[in-house]
Amino acid sequence: MSDRLPLPNSPAPSSLAAPRAISSRLFATVESVFQEEVFFLILSVFIGIFSGLAVVCFRLAIDWTHLALLGPLPQTHSWHMLAVPSLVGLVVAVLVMQLFPGVRGSGVNQTKAALYIFNGFIPFRTAVGKFICSALAIGSGQSLGPEDPSLQIGASIASVLGRQLEISREKLRLMAPVGAAAGLAAAFNAPISAVLFVIEEVIGRWSAGILGSVVLSAVSSVVIVRWFLGSEPLFRIPVTTFKRPSELIAYAVLGLAGGLASVAFAKSIGYLRPRLKAMPRWTQYFQPSLAGLIVGLIAFLGAPQVLGAGYDSMDQAMHGQYAWKLLAILALLKILASTVSFVSGAPGGMFAPTLFIGAMLGGAVGGVERIFVPQLTTGSTGTYVLVGMGVLFAGFLRAPMTSVFMVLEVSGNYEIVVPVIVANTFAYLVSRGLQPVPIFDLLTRQDGLSLPSLEEEREETILRVEDAMLPVPDTILNAQDYVDANARRVQDATESAFLVRLHPTGWSTIGRDQLLRLFQEGKGEHKLGSLLPAQGLPSLYPDLPLEAALRPLNNFPLVPVVNRADVHRLEGVVSRDSVFKRYGAR
Amino acid sequence: VPRDFAERLSRLVPRSSPLLILLLLTLAAVAGFAAVGHLVARFNANQQSRGRKLYAAGLEDINANRYSNAIAAFRAALTCDPTNSQYQLSLGRALRDSGDPLLLDEAESYLLALWQRAPQDAAINLALARVAARRGDIQDATRYYHNAMYGVWSSDADANRRTVRIELIQFLLKQNAVAKAESELIALASSLPQDPALHLQAARLFDQAQDYAGARAQYEEVLHLGPANSAALSGAGEAAYNLGDYLAAQRYLQRAINANPQDVHSRQLLATTELVLRVDPYRSHISDAERNRRIAAAFAQAGQRLTACAQQLGISLQSSPTPSATPASNTAQPPKSLLALQSSWSAMKPQLPHLRSAAESDLPDSIMDLVFQIEQQTAGQCGAPQGYDLALLLISQKREAAGQ
Repeated sequence: MSDRLPLPNSPAPSSLAAPRAISSRLFATVESVFQEEVFFLILSVFIGIFSGLAVVCFRLAIDWTHLALLGPLPQTHSWHMLAVPSLVGLVVAVLVMQLFPGVRGSGVNQTKAALYIFNGFIPFRTAVGKFICSALAIGSGQSLGPEDPSLQIGASIASVLGRQLEISREKLRLMAPVGAAAGLAAAFNAPISAVLFVIEEVIGRWSAGILGSVVLSAVSSVVIVRWFLGSEPLFRIPVTTFKRPSELIAYAVLGLAGGLASVAFAKSIGYLRPRLKAMPRWTQYFQPSLAGLIVGLIAFLGAPQVLGAGYDSMDQAMHGQYAWKLLAILALLKILASTVSFVSGAPGGMFAPTLFIGAMLGGAVGGVERIFVPQLTTGSTGTYVLVGMGVLFAGFLRAPMTSVFMVLEVSGNYEIVVPVIVANTFAYLVSRGLQPVPIFDLLTRQDGLSLPSLEEEREETILRVEDAMLPVPDTILNAQDYVDANARRVQDATESAFLVRLHPTGWSTIGRDQLLRLFQEGKGEHKLGSLLPAQGLPSLYPDLPLEAALRPLNNFPLVPVVNRADVHRLEGVVSRDSVFKRYGAR
Repeated sequence: VPRDFAERLSRLVPRSSPLLILLLLTLAAVAGFAAVGHLVARFNANQQSRGRKLYAAGLEDINANRYSNAIAAFRAALTCDPTNSQYQLSLGRALRDSGDPLLLDEAESYLLALWQRAPQDAAINLALARVAARRGDIQDATRYYHNAMYGVWSSDADANRRTVRIELIQFLLKQNAVAKAESELIALASSLPQDPALHLQAARLFDQAQDYAGARAQYEEVLHLGPANSAALSGAGEAAYNLGDYLAAQRYLQRAINANPQDVHSRQLLATTELVLRVDPYRSHISDAERNRRIAAAFAQAGQRLTACAQQLGISLQSSPTPSATPASNTAQPPKSLLALQSSWSAMKPQLPHLRSAAESDLPDSIMDLVFQIEQQTAGQCGAPQGYDLALLLISQKREAAGQ
């Protein structure tokens, strides 16, 4: 029992007081939940759910199309192989040209453009068109993957939802990457890789602002996909082994080969795509059909593995079913098939073809190394195939972090991490050396857009305060000294402005003319500190970006640069001249 | 029209009511969940039906030994129903049995994936055991066969476990892992039901493991259940013959021939057995005169065998191995052991008449030791003997075994 008595003026306790308090607290909580920041997080979960549902339907649509058009297991030397991709390519072209003009290609760049150019706007028609056209194209055998379209479908759903709920423009812009992460995670059943890919390729910069939303949407979409389609991985994971450090040499060679293959793949797309786009409009009705005919011919002549995404073939390569010569041939044929399919404008992604080429190349290189340097290759074929996937991902898509995590997520084996990092590094370096512009940036530029790139941002030299810092000045005034003493000190100095040390701590600044004027006005007996403005001078640290110096220099001629470990210790100063001079020298 | 509808719908939703928005989103998610669930269920049902047809076609191909067709059919069935364990198991088995060593790894990976989900499943363990057996990996095969034996069978567990153990024994015998096979055989024999066919199978496995005592016990078990079983009589006779129990062998083999007069093998064995019994000087219940007669006959037979063997090898036992013999001589030099035996035989011959003397109590054994040496040496150099010589060799082996 409470030992406090009610005050005379306090209202009498009633039996309704407690429920009212609970009710008002509940409403306050609900209100706080629906502040935009928190609401955005909740909305991310719904975006994940809706994207997951859409991707489940998308995968069913691809499977159904494939079964209906090509049967459960495509047979070589069947007229189906020639006719189906070609005829369906014609249908897809008509749909793309007449009804869904925004669904050409992969969808990654369109999503990025929505974020940076169109304030997060992606029409719902794009999602519908991408769904139908990609399902038809991939299901009929075009050598493309379902991941990038899933990414765009997710982004489109998020954009529609954001517009319908009339959230702020700032948040609406961020909806696209949130949906993109959800779509990609659902398609690849790998939430971490999807989050990293969206950050590396779509957002283009590391920003913690929407990381929570991206993760939430990716996880919720993966939960939905696993709910409906099961949690089986895309491949049966083989036994992966890494026994001796000397094996890293073999993986480095795989990285080099992967880098060269990535360059060949990227250059062929970069060369053909603008030329095909520049052809008369009527030809674009037949380009997907021609691409389908080429892909179908490859399948007809004995390599049906190149049809569609090819996950089954990757699975078989992983378990040593193909000899190294066949693996090498399949890698080459897939580069050809995916190039023609992609440049023809058929909607579909590059994710799966990249993994396919990498898998086949990895298996082939591993097989060759096993013959010539068996002492360096104790890893299983499956290990090389898995590492090969990461290699092409790093080399072609130029998403090095995603490539490492993708292999880890797919294999569930951390033993493989060192070979993956080594091989990916080599592939990335070779690819970057021979093809300076990453594939997605290249496609963006071919489309006449300019979007930020994380790779370019990484390579950008950042100017820092220390780059424009001047040495500690000879003359530093003291706020505790009288004006006349300070005026005498500056008489022989050449500077036009001086730092003033405040007590007990802090800095200010004063110009030579201002100080001499105070002296002439007869304020020589005053302490300098008493005449200075109350607002102190902000200080900088040497490692801060040089942009950080611009704001204080707008108000003060000099800004002190102090040590982070001891803020009383002056490291130097920056002035407007020194900053502009540094920018000018860049 | 859809845009117009969406706009009208959106006008109905007051933006100021976040609770309503949340409710609507939840309802939409639930509706989407239900619709997609229905779609997925229908799609899966369709796929499963297609998969069943392909699976049935694959089974037909397996029965007709068309492994590549069966593999294609099972693969197609799995594309329709990727998580179906039965399809995976059948594909794994087809890949394993296709005879293509390249496919063995893939078979193992399918089966291992199944095993990780159901390590207690006897059928999966048996399939993995057969993969390991194909590789000749005794350790893995034994492990998986044991897992299969002690695993869960959907029906007729005892019979299946017995069949698996028999398969393991056959594998171990094929790999020459006789000791391991024998231990499995003992376990098998102890758990066999009263079934003549099973005891007969076990007896033959004991025979293969050269455990003739175990084999004889199993054959006798069969005869206990059916005394006229000619296969068991023949097997028991052979087992007794191999054990050196010629009296029992004679008894069983005689009955085997009576039960099945066409049994040529038993007839041959019986002839040898009877010869052994006729010429064995160590047989009990024979008179001294008879014993001496048998020893003398054995000695003479050994001399003939020695001469015949030397002739077969193209050498002359008359030439003495003197240092003056020229190495370049065209006459092949007999092996020293044959020469030594010939000289021992020649040295022993004058002593034969002393067999009856009571003072020469060691002489019978000395003569028979020489006879046994000659029979063993000639068997090694001139091939397996026949008839009398074979009988003498068998007696020598029995004596050696008894001595050990």
